[in-house]
Amino acid sequence: MDVSLTRNFCIIAHVDHGKTTLSDRLLEHTNTVQQRVMTDQHLDSMDLEKERGITIKSHPVTMTYPAKDGRLYKLNLADTPGHVDFSYEVSRSLAACEGAVLLIDAAQGVEAQTVANAHLATAQNLKIIPVINKIDLPSANLELCMKQLEDILMIPAEEAILASGKAGIGIVDILEAVVKRIPPPRWSEHPHTRALVFDSLYDSYRGVITYARVFSGAIKAGDQIVLMSTNQKADVKEVGIFTPKMQKVDVLSAGDVGYVVSNIKDTSEIKTGDTLTLSRNPATVMLPGYKEVRPMVFCGLYPLESNDYEKLKAALGRLRLNDAAFLYQSESSVALGFGFRCGFLGLLHMEIIQERIRREHDVEIISTYPSVVYRVKQHGHEEIEVDNPVNLPDPGTIDYISEPTIKAAIHIPNEAMGDILSLVMEKRGTVEHTDTLDTTRVMLTCVMPLNEILVDFNDRLKSITHGYGSMDYELGAYQPSDLVKMDILINADPVDAFASIVHRDKAEGKGRALCEKLAEIIPPQMFKVAIQAAIGGKIIARDNVKEMRKDVTSKCYGGDISRKRKLLDKQKEGKKKMKQIGKVSIPPDAFIQVLKN
Amino acid sequence: MYVHVPFCASTCDFCAFYQTSPTADGVEGFLSGIEEEANLVEWPRPVTTVFWGGGTPGLLAPTDIIRLGAIIQRRLGSVSATPPSEFRSPQLLEWTVELAPASVTDARLAALKEIGVTRISMGVQSFQPALLDALGRQHTLDQVMRAYGRIRTAGFASVNLDLMFALPGQTEAEWNADIDAAVALAPDHLSAYCLTFEEDTKLWVKLSAGRVKLDVENEAQLYETTWARLAGAGYAQYEVSNFARPGHACRHNLATWHMHEWVGLGPSAASQQGGLRGANIADLVEWRARVARGARMTEDRVALTPALLLEDSLIFGLRMNAGVDLNALRHRYPDAPWSTVDALVQRLAEDGLALLETGRLRLSDRGRLLADAVGAEIMESMDEPVSA
Ligand SMILES: Nc1nc2c(ncn2[C@@H]2O[C@H](COP(=O)(O)OP(=O)(O)OP(=O)(O)O)[C@@H](O)[C@H]2O)c(=O)[nH]1
Ligand code: SF4
Ligand SMILES: [Mg+2]
Repeated sequence: MDVSLTRNFCIIAHVDHGKTTLSDRLLEHTNTVQQRVMTDQHLDSMDLEKERGITIKSHPVTMTYPAKDGRLYKLNLADTPGHVDFSYEVSRSLAACEGAVLLIDAAQGVEAQTVANAHLATAQNLKIIPVINKIDLPSANLELCMKQLEDILMIPAEEAILASGKAGIGIVDILEAVVKRIPPPRWSEHPHTRALVFDSLYDSYRGVITYARVFSGAIKAGDQIVLMSTNQKADVKEVGIFTPKMQKVDVLSAGDVGYVVSNIKDTSEIKTGDTLTLSRNPATVMLPGYKEVRPMVFCGLYPLESNDYEKLKAALGRLRLNDAAFLYQSESSVALGFGFRCGFLGLLHMEIIQERIRREHDVEIISTYPSVVYRVKQHGHEEIEVDNPVNLPDPGTIDYISEPTIKAAIHIPNEAMGDILSLVMEKRGTVEHTDTLDTTRVMLTCVMPLNEILVDFNDRLKSITHGYGSMDYELGAYQPSDLVKMDILINADPVDAFASIVHRDKAEGKGRALCEKLAEIIPPQMFKVAIQAAIGGKIIARDNVKEMRKDVTSKCYGGDISRKRKLLDKQKEGKKKMKQIGKVSIPPDAFIQVLKN
Repeated sequence: MYVHVPFCASTCDFCAFYQTSPTADGVEGFLSGIEEEANLVEWPRPVTTVFWGGGTPGLLAPTDIIRLGAIIQRRLGSVSATPPSEFRSPQLLEWTVELAPASVTDARLAALKEIGVTRISMGVQSFQPALLDALGRQHTLDQVMRAYGRIRTAGFASVNLDLMFALPGQTEAEWNADIDAAVALAPDHLSAYCLTFEEDTKLWVKLSAGRVKLDVENEAQLYETTWARLAGAGYAQYEVSNFARPGHACRHNLATWHMHEWVGLGPSAASQQGGLRGANIADLVEWRARVARGARMTEDRVALTPALLLEDSLIFGLRMNAGVDLNALRHRYPDAPWSTVDALVQRLAEDGLALLETGRLRLSDRGRLLADAVGAEIMESMDEPVSA
């Protein structure tokens, strides 16, 4: 196929503005997926995505579309996630495209990630096709959306297409716009074969499968490829495209998006953002890669059963391959044994990875309390980074501790201003400036400590604004702060996995909340269990785990012994799913639960 | 010896026992099946207790009771084949039969007396008509009173009444009234069961559908009042759900909790004998077919290893108020992982869940309410490899 007949684009938007639903309509209209096998939010193929109704990974798919100009186009679409934790996925997809369809929920208007994702697309010089979506909603406000498009995003309103993914409105208009407005694949004339690795996954039968966008040249089975960042060579066994299932093809040519199966077996050998070329006639200049992402939140992940350590290690390697924003390295804990320090882009990301480890890799894990990365200066020493409270040096030796801040763009309706200002204050933040977005909405630019917004900030923002507030953020500067280590003691023994670093003024409140929440989450125990929070040996809060009251079968005769044993056995196995710390059984997802409100 | 008589007139909502409706063919097949199965068993020692449970053994016609009684008697160590009770084995200490109030007739009681039954256990469950209905029980308060009178008149050595508490909709006052009503009849033994939601029962379905709610705290409180009230009325608790006047504890059940041997006959009946534990298949027709092939104890079959017996001696022994004799067990099973068991015992004692006195371990009242959790801990500690 002629490269001029290929278009590469992604769908970007704020969370829930309808990207995946609109993708469904595109797949249907182009007969990419047959009616018989079509499902709602079809591209959300992971169970977790389906269950939670959110997109976690970008999903590529190739469609063919007979345009009104009479020609048959090949359209490579990527549906992207909207949640701020996965914005890195969006930027990777954008790098493999020439254009982006930007959705705006007609009832919500422009929100924080609408702006952030539009900026990402512009920064990569992509053509943006604005689509006002969900126009079927009674609360749709087209006029306001048009105005926001011009005022906030500086996109002429007449470019906007009106659509509804749910009702199937505007689908052809969007496809036509993709063909007409988005330029054909760039850099296709380059003299050497170059393909951008934008994702990979590990398949237990076929090994590492690399997702690539070919910019120039061609790749086919039998070729020898070179990973340009490491010069590692590999033999191509199969190439194919996504329909969205993997479908084998003879060759991937310039402009194509597809997968490459090679004899790479080790997950650590392949890096997202790398450039593939051919070993005969190799390219010398790599494609622009991605900027490294820095995880913002860290926690320890430990196998529940210590002999699952290697299994966990393999799982982490495979997840990392499929998620470049996730980092890990080994560490150990007094309470939990050997495990890994893992870095995430946010709490949702952390939760999703933990779920994927449990489900896709079948390893039961327990996590420690999450932490951001602090910088600690001791007398006469260089600053060090501390992402685990356990490693915080003796307070007596510390000059200062500084903590990461974020710069947040918070979009809210005017009337929520007062409440949001107090929320920002409560979270130790400052408002740098206020911009009017339109007559009804303002944008606050705030600086806030990262560790304050991790937990419930977004929920509170949503509830204060009745769902109309949203936030985007990026990492800001470090600032010195009065921080202390808070220990959690179980029956008077400190448990390292529970330690956290908190602001001194907030320690008591947080300690109380944490003890209370743990007491609630830990199931009733046979033995008396006290949970305490302490700073430097001083108890600041305490609570008790509920005591088990009744757990006895009333009828237990000769004929019941076998059945009874089976029940006890199940009970015992249930307990094994928990972590024994001293006398207490802790549910492995205790901290995820603590952090949820 | 345990005999499972698998017939019931209808199915109670809470019931998870194997039972079926009594047809003439079914009863005939059952009786001849018991005879054949008894022939398959090796009887290396005299039988000391007999227990007919069900189902509802009391549904059998008097003639069938006599026939079943004769089959059983032939296994009691006596050689004579003529009834009635003069050929009772001198070793036989107790013969219990479970009866449902609706089927207690003078003729049946006479038949039971004739074959040598010593103890009657009657399932009353509640003295509140509304609650009886709610359980799907097929008898009235009137029937209960009349049946009890007849049993007493017939003159059995020991009589037990079964009661149930924590029934859906039952108030604490209603339960106390039930206890009082039971005590007023002056039975020798009382079993008071907290209603359990067994899988595959109608109640379970209601519970899963959210129509009946579990209230653990309420159950715990009812247990406590029950124990206190019955103790006050002269019924000493000797196991989680069992209470007796002096000398009336059920020997048959005590023997099973002590992990002695027993032979179970009939569909679904469990046996523990000759180094094996297992149960018959819970299906009248299939049980007969297997017995005809010489196969019994075909389900859940396990070998009785010393480790298993120790574990069960602890788990089931601790349900009894007298607890277990750790010194004796240590002596009998020297290779068990005693260090982990001792550590657990220590913890239980420290937390007031158990008491350790001169080598006997018994649960406190609080501990007895947690007997399952204690059991699971015991199993867990037994999993630990034996430290050298
Ligand atoms: N009324 C209406 N609802 C829609 C429309 N499109 C999507 N929705 C609903 O909006 C919700 C979110 O839809 P998705 O397609 O999952 O949104 P998304 O943008 O892919 O969400 P993320 O991937 O999590 O960012 C779902 O409940 C959809 O049913 C539409 O055109 N009209
Ligand atoms: S009478 Fe007994 S065995 Fe029969 S259904 Fe009722 S509870 Fe079950
Ligand atoms: Mg989506």
